[in-house]
Amino acid sequence: MLEGIFVEGLIYAIMALGVFFTFRILDFPDLTVDGSFPMGAVIMATSLTGGMHPLTGLLLAFCGGVLAGFVTAAIHNRLKVPHLLAGILTMTMLYSVNIRIMGNRANLPLLRVDTIITHVTAATQGLIPADWASLIFFVLVILAIKFALDVFFHTDMGLVFGALGNNEQMVKVQGVNPATLKLIGVGLSNGLVALSGAFAAQYQGFADVNLGQGIVVSGLASVMLGEFIIKSNRIGLLTLRVILGAILFKAIMYLGRYYGYYINMTPNDLKLIAGVLIIASLAVTNYRRIRGKAGTAA
Amino acid sequence: MIRLQNLNCTFHAGTPNAKTVIRDLNLTVGAGEFVTIIGSNGAGKTTLFNLISGNLLPTSGKVFINGEDVTDHPEYKRAITIGRIFQDPLAGTASNMTLEDNMMITYKKGFKWPVISLNRKIRTYFKSQLVNLKMGLESRMKENINTLSGGQRQALTLLMMVLSNPDIALLDEHTAALDPSNAAIVMDLTTRFISEHRLTTMMITHNMNHAIAYGSRLLMMDAGEIVIDVSGAEKAKLTVPKLLEMFSNVRRQAFENDEVLLSAG
Repeated sequence: MLEGIFVEGLIYAIMALGVFFTFRILDFPDLTVDGSFPMGAVIMATSLTGGMHPLTGLLLAFCGGVLAGFVTAAIHNRLKVPHLLAGILTMTMLYSVNIRIMGNRANLPLLRVDTIITHVTAATQGLIPADWASLIFFVLVILAIKFALDVFFHTDMGLVFGALGNNEQMVKVQGVNPATLKLIGVGLSNGLVALSGAFAAQYQGFADVNLGQGIVVSGLASVMLGEFIIKSNRIGLLTLRVILGAILFKAIMYLGRYYGYYINMTPNDLKLIAGVLIIASLAVTNYRRIRGKAGTAA
Repeated sequence: MIRLQNLNCTFHAGTPNAKTVIRDLNLTVGAGEFVTIIGSNGAGKTTLFNLISGNLLPTSGKVFINGEDVTDHPEYKRAITIGRIFQDPLAGTASNMTLEDNMMITYKKGFKWPVISLNRKIRTYFKSQLVNLKMGLESRMKENINTLSGGQRQALTLLMMVLSNPDIALLDEHTAALDPSNAAIVMDLTTRFISEHRLTTMMITHNMNHAIAYGSRLLMMDAGEIVIDVSGAEKAKLTVPKLLEMFSNVRRQAFENDEVLLSAG
């Protein structure tokens, strides 16, 4: 079970990194996530059942997510629609698109196909137990993504992303079009989310069009939990704490699922727990801020 | 350098709330000129800057920069040649990023590619430039901008603007939010940077003494029009009482003109 928490936490951490990018860096609360996560899963499942290599499927899923993000950003940029509404529009449309991708069905099992996980366990057979093999594999995947993001945020483009969420006027004064940046940023973020969905489908052994319901909330909860673990402004630690937050979030969800019956909780209550977690995080942050201000005034 | 042709700007045009903020304005600012602008609240000074920088589009009229008609160019495109500093010291920098990151963002104008340019060579260069501010910021390059005071932030914004190598500087009361000693420091840096980099400058100020002491040309705006435009030797002889007298003369004339019109009707 313990490996399960970590593997699921690591898979969802990829999604949480995407949510962190839009919510925290771009200051663009992007709800496309609820549609792009199942989109990644759906593209992956369709590619695998179509006989493609898992790596091709992952690449296609990533590209699909990027396109979904482009749509949201374009609606927001071109039609001056508020970001929340733009995200909801794309998310809603993606529901139909996802069913189309799977050939007019709502779910697709991955029972007798080779996934990236079966590839990994086959390659390491006899060396390490299958559970540990997939755990190590996902640790490597998340480290690679984290490292790539850290480097990206040190580039000239990455730095401007930091400024965009902070001070949009400054970005304009520097001769950069904020609309272009939002397009790239929301695209990349949803690419990560779709990648996460693609891994999740392979881990769970199926893709379902409802996989994404409330996923943005769990991503945001992971980001906020992470902010309690580490206080910093360095990008390396920011991405690290998102990953830790995602694992912690999954652990809390596991506790709820396996021991929740002691307090009459069912798995159906987990979404409520996720929401309450966010509200509690906000309340604590708010309380600290008020107390912090009172402290400096005294 | 900057040429404004029959510029008009009306807010809420076509509604009962219509308000004309800039009225038939014509202005040519030559390369290297340092123009100070004064005028009461609501005279249209900041709107003028918004029209030049592209933050606002005129109701009619044209804006030329370096001889090119830029009336339809969006703000981010015009920004390549224009550096702008606002009254709010927080407006020119990104608070929760480090000093060197801020400098890197503003170092080059235009689209940024995903390449890492912030290396040891550029850090050394930034450090050597920060020494010019004489604020000890050169040892704080890894610190967050929000640890800096308002004066330090405004001085840094000024330095960053100069390093991005614009042709034109638009300064919108950039010392008004600072305490007197910091304002004096920032003003000193301003004149030094302007002459070192030969910037064409327009500076809005509320301080009549500043408007007279600095620059090669003085404009006074009132109700969306330029009512006083002095330069050269005439400006050198200007004093605050003289300026006030000129202003009241202009207003009396306008008032008498209105009276004539009304009685004729």
